[in-house]
Amino acid sequence: MADVDSTFSIQEVVPYPPVTADLSHLDDWKPRTRPDFWVIFRHVVLALFAVVILFPIVWVLLLSVKSLPDAYKNDIWPKKFDFSHYGYSLQKIPTLPQNFFNSVMVTSATVVITTVCAVLAGYALVHLDFRGKAVAIGLLVASMFFPTRVTAIIAIYEIQNQLGLINKTWSLIMPYVALSIAISVFIMRGMFETVPRDIADAARIDGAGPMRTLVGVMLPMVANGVVVVVIVNFVAAWGEYLLANTLMNDQSARTLPVVLATASGGMGAWVWPRLAAVYVMAITPGLIAFAIAQRWYMKGLQEGALKA
Amino acid sequence: MAEAAAAGASAGTMARRRDWRERFPWGWLFLVPTFVFFVGWQLYPIIRVAWISFTDYEFLSPNKPVDFVGLRNFQEVLVDPLMRVGLLRAAGFTALFLPGMIFIPMFLAVMIDKIQNQKVATFYRLLLLIPSMIPGPLIFVLWKWMYDLYIGPINFFLVNQFHLFDLRSQPQWLGDPKLVFFALAIMEWWWGLGYHTMFYLAGLATIPKDLPDAARVDGANEWRLFWDVTFKRLLPIILVLVVLRFGTAMAVIDEYLIMGGFNRTRPTYTWTVYMWETAFVTPPRFQGYAAAIGWVGAIAMLIVVAILFRVFRSRD
Repeated sequence: MADVDSTFSIQEVVPYPPVTADLSHLDDWKPRTRPDFWVIFRHVVLALFAVVILFPIVWVLLLSVKSLPDAYKNDIWPKKFDFSHYGYSLQKIPTLPQNFFNSVMVTSATVVITTVCAVLAGYALVHLDFRGKAVAIGLLVASMFFPTRVTAIIAIYEIQNQLGLINKTWSLIMPYVALSIAISVFIMRGMFETVPRDIADAARIDGAGPMRTLVGVMLPMVANGVVVVVIVNFVAAWGEYLLANTLMNDQSARTLPVVLATASGGMGAWVWPRLAAVYVMAITPGLIAFAIAQRWYMKGLQEGALKA
Repeated sequence: MAEAAAAGASAGTMARRRDWRERFPWGWLFLVPTFVFFVGWQLYPIIRVAWISFTDYEFLSPNKPVDFVGLRNFQEVLVDPLMRVGLLRAAGFTALFLPGMIFIPMFLAVMIDKIQNQKVATFYRLLLLIPSMIPGPLIFVLWKWMYDLYIGPINFFLVNQFHLFDLRSQPQWLGDPKLVFFALAIMEWWWGLGYHTMFYLAGLATIPKDLPDAARVDGANEWRLFWDVTFKRLLPIILVLVVLRFGTAMAVIDEYLIMGGFNRTRPTYTWTVYMWETAFVTPPRFQGYAAAIGWVGAIAMLIVVAILFRVFRSRD
């Protein structure tokens, strides 16, 4: 009797979490004096933020599957679901497939070009010595504090106009690369700084040229940073509005965000659920890319990309 | 003997080859692709706009000779009431936008950092990052619908669900000049929340875990602990974010174009919108004058950035 009692009370009192197979969490665990209120408070606040973050996205997703009568009542949850808006908008809104293709083409080219440039430049700025390095770094840094996108747009228009590139969708690639090149180079520079100098020296002594050192030895070590650069550039190019709106006048030459921003909802083909369906199609590629790459993206952010 | 000579000769050529390889400016070669785009579509346009700002260039008058007019554009811009009000409006938005963009993510990061369960912490990080995967202009489109008076869910809740307002008194988020900056700031905070939280979490990860514990043993309470240990560690990150986001907020244009239009009496008509309208909308498109607007705005911003840098540096 006494025995049973004491065993029982020991289990109750000893301040350790139940022992499971995985003991790693014991390292993080520390005794607290009055944990309960703050732990609950923390989780309530975080859950609230989670709802705020998710709500607009869930709302637009539900709007895109509302039947037309439901669309004029504002209830969040549709009475009748209608999944036809996706197919309808792709088939019946004349320029939409073209706009979609424009966005895909411009974005993928921008991402590939910027990433290659940034890897080469980031590597050179950290692991190669050359005269004028400080000047190159200074120019790139200074450009990040200048409101180029706004101030330079008059001259960018002039350049593209003189080259006959107005309304040629692919011509957006050049200004897009230019606008995010500085930040991309600095993300890669931060990553290459985490690679020890000894490795560069060892590769050189083995007779590897700078290119072989970069591709064969270092690239795998900065792969997470490459993921960060790819994602940053994807988001920037996929959604760019100001230049795309200024340099493209034909509806068929425009990219998806410009079409969405200028479409006025509620009328004809652009009835709200269809507009929402186009919107969901516009944000899905980014979210899928994120879902696939998030592991490396988070690692990259942690390793060096945020050491701005 | 012959072998040694051959070895010596090949060592000589190898040395010469290595010499050539060592002396070649590989660094610049690696920078060529970057600088083609950087110079062609960033550096050159900035300089070119500076040149245009000294001329009376009108885009829609191709036959009119372009004349050099010296500082005339700048003299006019500096006394232009629309320019002054445009800069003040941008500054007003910045003042509203910055505190929320800096401190809400910090608050959130401190809370996430305290979560013991790694899976839960990762879950919150991923969830908060979702908006940052949606490009800005698409965020603005989404929130334009959120604030919409007919279809928007925000006023649906306020009017139909909670009955806080009726249809006449409901807040006109984007229409009311008093509300529009606030509405835009909420949208920006929503968008930037996760991304900025990541900056702070990266900073918090550098705090050794035994440092707060040691302070606790010494009897420091959580509040003192936050200011003395955590906040001090985060200060460099805060300063970087202040400078970066100041630049973003002062040069905002897409939001204003998508949500505000070209009504000159509205708060969203800032110097950026004024410049764009002058250059691309209103005939005959005084691009010389617009270029001067752009440069004056940029210089005003750079002066503040320089001051910020000075102030922050003197703190270290």
